Amino acid sequence: MSGLTFRLTSAPTERLDLSQLTPRRLASLPLADVLKLDIGSTKSGLKLGDAFAVSGKPGETVKIEASSSKLDFIGTDLDHGTIIVDGDAGVGAGRRMTGGRLEIRGDAGALLGSGISGGEILVKGSAGSQVGGLTPGDRFGMLGGLIAIEGDAGDRAGDRMRRGTIYVRGKCGGFAGSRMVGGTIWTELGFGAEPGMLLRRGTLIGPSVDVMLPTFVDAGRHDLVILRILSRYMRERLGSAAPKALPGSVRKFAGDLATIGKGELLLTA
Amino acid sequence: MKINGIAIDDTFAEAFGMAGTGVIITADTMKWARQAAITMSGFGTSVIGAGAEVGIDRELKPDETPDGRPGVRVLLFGFSPDAAANQLKTRIGQCVLTSPGSACYAGVESDKRIGLGKGPRYFGDGFQTAKKLGDKRFWRIPVMDGEFVIEETTGVVTDAVGGGNLIILGNDRAGLLTTAEAAVDAIGAVPDAITPFPGGIVRSGSKVGSKYKGAIASTNDAFCPTLRGRVKSELGPDTVAVLEIVIDGLTSNAVADAMRAGLKTIIDTGAAKGVTRVTAGNYGGKLGQHHYKLRELLP
Repeated sequence: MSGLTFRLTSAPTERLDLSQLTPRRLASLPLADVLKLDIGSTKSGLKLGDAFAVSGKPGETVKIEASSSKLDFIGTDLDHGTIIVDGDAGVGAGRRMTGGRLEIRGDAGALLGSGISGGEILVKGSAGSQVGGLTPGDRFGMLGGLIAIEGDAGDRAGDRMRRGTIYVRGKCGGFAGSRMVGGTIWTELGFGAEPGMLLRRGTLIGPSVDVMLPTFVDAGRHDLVILRILSRYMRERLGSAAPKALPGSVRKFAGDLATIGKGELLLTA
Repeated sequence: MKINGIAIDDTFAEAFGMAGTGVIITADTMKWARQAAITMSGFGTSVIGAGAEVGIDRELKPDETPDGRPGVRVLLFGFSPDAAANQLKTRIGQCVLTSPGSACYAGVESDKRIGLGKGPRYFGDGFQTAKKLGDKRFWRIPVMDGEFVIEETTGVVTDAVGGGNLIILGNDRAGLLTTAEAAVDAIGAVPDAITPFPGGIVRSGSKVGSKYKGAIASTNDAFCPTLRGRVKSELGPDTVAVLEIVIDGLTSNAVADAMRAGLKTIIDTGAAKGVTRVTAGNYGGKLGQHHYKLRELLP
């Protein structure tokens, strides 16, 4: 597993933009140029070499050590290879990813996996708001791929999500799946308030809901074959970190009937 | 050449290039997965008369299917990918969608794809929804016992082979059928190959052409025991019946392996049951791209 390692030498005093640290981008740059990359967000003109000690050779892996929640946009446009973040990640990690794997061994900030269309994001800790969400100018949020969070997810996970899967081993915040057009959000510990607001299509899965929208209707208990396929898919993608297979029977609520109502909220408990 | 008392003709089976595709059908029980598969395979004997050649490749354990339920893999062969796609669409719509508890998935993986759920999804009348997981898209169609799940596409290969065959001759009709059944069972263990005729066995081998205008094929009189003496018969005086096993495969190797397995069973067990000779059907070698020489397939 060859690759470059970036070790943060001191706590950053400003937010840092690490969007350029992907295996593809780094493979095209000599080390001297890597050290001169602009990563600051103020007029200080901070270069990468001012904040990081770099070791290793360019390869399929990028490792960021002693990371901080001030390191933003890690893994932006990642299309192959692996980025390992040893610590927390800031805003927009995995933005517009199309492939590869981003592994965050701490917490992630807001907009994790915004606009992702492929690849995998794995977070050991919790994630901020708008996981798989969208930023101004985007038509949709998450478009594909897999985001797996070991901890909790903040509010509005999957906002305007179209495809892909978000798995949260902990609890999802409020308004998960708002304006969602497709895809799947699966939480092990339940949803906060009013999940699926203006949900058009897509699937929300969890054991409980803090506050159910009145525009979701009870469609009864069902044994859905698609959940068996989903469980198997998660096992193939996450291996031993995959969630337990879903129960045979779930209670289905159809909604949001304020829109076309082709979405579903499946209660597993 | 005679082996175990059975004459093996120095000839070859002549087979043709076809398009081959497949599906995996699952259900709550193997009984119902198999029922859907059998129904889908019905009237799927000869591509000339039935539009496609269809048969069960093998049964799948729950851990081999996409949804963890018992399943059956069905293979379908047609003249072209488009012809196979049309047959697949109607057979899935009429025979699998309708079968209780069924679901249907791609049974062949290849870069070239044809529609599987693309047509049947419209049965959902707008209530159907799609779920894309990884690079696979599944359609969920509401039906009266829940949901029919079907993958959007399946793979198709254009280097499949149709028409591998073994022709078995004997002096005891019941023993001949028992031997043919055993050969079909042996072929059933070969992956990627099917025997599309009833129970895998054909009793009405055909020749090209007919005395009647418009009939493109007619009875193979040279192999009909009741016509011995009236036509230029291929049969010896002791032959009372002839049965044929037709084999289609996703690859040429699969057809060869299937013929080898069938031939071995016939040679091992046939003589005691009245089998006297094994030959193979061909058209002089000028029509089919694939030739399977019996002598090269001997055990």
